[in-house]
Amino acid sequence: MTDLGERVAVLRDEVLDVVAGGSEDAPAEAIFDAIVRTLSAGLDTALGLDLTLHDAVARRLAWGDTEQLILDDADAVFARLAKAAQRALRDPDEEMLVLEAAADVVCSTARILGLAAVGRASRDRAAALREELAQRRLREALDQQSNNLQRLKEEVAQNDFE
Amino acid sequence: MTFVVSGYGDSHVGAVRDTNEDALIVDPKWGLYAVLDGMGGASAGDIASTKARDVIHEYVRARRATLGPRQLLEAAINAASAAVHGEAQRRRDRRGMGTTVVACLIDGRRATLAHVGDSRAYLLRDGRMHRLTNDHTIVAELVARGAISADEADRHAYKNVLSRNLGAKATAVVDVNELELVPGDRLMLCSDGLYGYASNEALHQLMGSTDPGADVVRDLIEAALRGGGGDNVTTIVVDAGTQAVPRATVVLKTSGAGAWWARRDRLLAAARAYGIHRSPLCAVLAPDDAIALVAGNFADAVYHDLEKGTSVNVWTFVENLAVGWLGQGGAWTALRELLDGLARAADAVVRELRAEDAALGGLIEGALARALVTAESAAGGVLAGRLRAVEVELVRQDAERSRQQAEVTSKFIDHPTVPFMRAVAPPPEAPAPDVQALLDGARRRALGRPAAASDRALFTRAVEHSHRVATATSDAEAALAARELFDVRSLDEAGVTPLYDALDAARAAHIDAVRAVPGAIAGKVAALRRIAAAYQRLSSTITSLVVESVAPSAEALREAAAATAALRAQVTKNEKKVAELERKFATIIDDDLPAGMRFDLGLDPPPPPPPRRAEPPAIPPRRRLPKETLR
Repeated sequence: MTDLGERVAVLRDEVLDVVAGGSEDAPAEAIFDAIVRTLSAGLDTALGLDLTLHDAVARRLAWGDTEQLILDDADAVFARLAKAAQRALRDPDEEMLVLEAAADVVCSTARILGLAAVGRASRDRAAALREELAQRRLREALDQQSNNLQRLKEEVAQNDFE
Repeated sequence: MTFVVSGYGDSHVGAVRDTNEDALIVDPKWGLYAVLDGMGGASAGDIASTKARDVIHEYVRARRATLGPRQLLEAAINAASAAVHGEAQRRRDRRGMGTTVVACLIDGRRATLAHVGDSRAYLLRDGRMHRLTNDHTIVAELVARGAISADEADRHAYKNVLSRNLGAKATAVVDVNELELVPGDRLMLCSDGLYGYASNEALHQLMGSTDPGADVVRDLIEAALRGGGGDNVTTIVVDAGTQAVPRATVVLKTSGAGAWWARRDRLLAAARAYGIHRSPLCAVLAPDDAIALVAGNFADAVYHDLEKGTSVNVWTFVENLAVGWLGQGGAWTALRELLDGLARAADAVVRELRAEDAALGGLIEGALARALVTAESAAGGVLAGRLRAVEVELVRQDAERSRQQAEVTSKFIDHPTVPFMRAVAPPPEAPAPDVQALLDGARRRALGRPAAASDRALFTRAVEHSHRVATATSDAEAALAARELFDVRSLDEAGVTPLYDALDAARAAHIDAVRAVPGAIAGKVAALRRIAAAYQRLSSTITSLVVESVAPSAEALREAAAATAALRAQVTKNEKKVAELERKFATIIDDDLPAGMRFDLGLDPPPPPPPRRAEPPAIPPRRRLPKETLR
């Protein structure tokens, strides 16, 4: 880890608002960790290719968090980190690096969430089509059943009478 | 220094069984160590293990000079297998007997391990324990092939059924490993009665102790017995090391403790000379009693710690002293001076010791220094505990006072954790003129750069909109800019990805442009703050729009699923109606059918069976023989 990564990692509790949240396992920690990783790698990574971040976001979605909730977490991390970096880092170049890394990670998170949402929508549309097909078959079955019922009622009435 | 190997072994019948079917070889002269675990009903297990033990031992002794360790062990175990198998074939009551074996042959630094069955060998090296053998059980082989998981193996009904043993056939397939021993290594051979009833942690802890091998063997067997002792327990511990001078702790335990005890009176005299008896802690005691109680107990505590290589006695002595004194409101300085006096008295004794035997005196001085640090820590711990109690009391009083004050002044407290009462973030301010100039310059530069994004128009719009958000004085600007950028697009990956690509490219170009534009560094940082925040807001808002736009898909799916479920319920209901009518119809038309046909259609009960001949008298059931144990 570079010096800058280490110094930003120190701001963890402040940025994740651990005191207010009351837990070290803050929901937005994956986003903060991704920022620290980006800084440690010297901003040399390809944009949006942090697989650990992808994994963390996917896990939160799988646990039932909404896209909007994760977006809000990312926004809060960006806002707090910008403030904390302004206060804690004396070298303007370093603050610029932190802002760049934070914007990179938060925008990557937004992209991951956006693509996850359209992916989910595609799956939903496909599932809705399947439901419509199933409904068509069920209606056919219902029609057939109605005919059978009618026939049986008539036959029973006829035999009963005899 | 010579490389020395020493081995100790023992066997115990266990807490449940009547006979010990285990056997062992501990032969330091030939470097041969082995554990054998016999099996087979009717007391044949011990015969198998004893027979195999004798054959292996004899074979190794006879051919040690002619065969290498690997071939020797393999051949010896095969000979044992042939002998046990032959014996089992000769006597009907010994059919099926067999034994496991794990054997180790040590030649210099090289240890050769051979095993068949589920007796195991472990190696402790550098504090870590390694298992050197794989069990030859059916379950272990299923795990190795990936047929079942390790968890399933633990619960498997046949986890103890062997896939290989000595005696089942005339020859045995033997696994042989070799390893180079290093000083400090500790090998352990054991039967399943040890690892099956003592936890891995217990084995590791006992193996890692600095006790002699014989004690470790005793403790290992004890651990298995405490764990239930459901099987015979046999273990051998082999220590590999160099013949070295005794370690400092050993010297201290033997000579050091004795030398200190011999100078106990000298310590008491020195304590009197340093005025221990005049300490406020000893105010109610006669001088002789004070010296005997304080300095005498200190001397005893140091002696016991030296003898056992611990610090617990000194810790307990000082903790008791501090709790008693500080608990009744005594001053810290008096305790501090008493401890200093004891340290000075001990130092006087050590000086004399050093004059007599410099090496021993040096060792005792080191041990005393550690004891005094322990004493400081113990006293510090008591003091810290008291400070914590004071702090808790102060916080409690303060909270109580605040509560009373709040009740007096107002019933409504503006609590900062209620969300709607939190301070609202102020709207963004307009950028300072120099920052505005930098932002304008950055925008021009960014637009002039060749963009990586394929859609140049989208890139340009992203830069323009971000500039708009960065210089805006309203939060609503980001939402408006995002709506305009989002425009009309298909809600799939192909529709959304170009937008994110353009935003990423615009952000990279914009941030580079801020760095490149001429200006003061402070202004650049301020400009970058605005630019970074603008892109963050734009990306976030666009994603919110995407999420909002795809919401109807989920809603449509929910409605479709509900409609399908309703239709399915209707179909099920109709099926029941049809079935009911069909049954009714069948009953009506089949009332006139002949009896046989009615039975064939399932409408009548079956006809009664023809009368049978008288039953023969019942034969009492045979008593089942007790099932032979698997192992």
